[in-house]
Amino acid sequence: MDIAAISGNIATVGYGLAAIGPAIGVGIVVGKTIEGVARQPELSSRLQTLMWIGIAFTEALAFIGIATYYIFTS
Amino acid sequence: MSHDTPAITGVLKRALLWDAIITGGIAVVAVVLGAIFSGGIGVVSALIGAVIALVFLGITAASIIFANRYAGGELFAGIFFAIVLGGWLLKFLVFILLAVVLKGQPWIDPLVLFLSLIAAVIGSLVVDVAVVIRSRIPIGASGS
Repeated sequence: MDIAAISGNIATVGYGLAAIGPAIGVGIVVGKTIEGVARQPELSSRLQTLMWIGIAFTEALAFIGIATYYIFTS
Repeated sequence: MSHDTPAITGVLKRALLWDAIITGGIAVVAVVLGAIFSGGIGVVSALIGAVIALVFLGITAASIIFANRYAGGELFAGIFFAIVLGGWLLKFLVFILLAVVLKGQPWIDPLVLFLSLIAAVIGSLVVDVAVVIRSRIPIGASGS
């Protein structure tokens, strides 16, 4: 009996791995933004701008992660 | 609802405008390359990839602009993050569904579509960074 055998599409595992990084990234970006706004509400516009650029980068990783499966299996 | 316009709104609108311009440029290049390598199917795929990148990346900026309409209210922080992060989650669910649906279509070349998408995503990121670097947001600006 091979207890390490897996069945199904391995790409689903790939998506799970691709989702970890952006999830942590967005969590940190948004959490720190909330922290910053709580400390200095007058900086909220600046912090929102930086938050948006942070989210843009992390979501780009997620998009590429999802898209990779379709490139390599086409 | 407050009628203040937070300073970030101008930055985001400018970023959306430049995103559209750059994505349009990338779409033209992708359409030409798609036509060379895959013919008519490549043209359609390249266009769809560029449009997906523009719409899905633009949703983040658009959601922040929309959420800031509630600036000044007591529940602003909750509403803001619910709209921005809720929009983000919804966007990815729709993106995955779209990817699954499009992959099986005979009129799509998945390779061209997703290479075009990735090129447009990277182009948008470059533009976003450039817009933010050039933006001037006064400290103490409305938006809290």
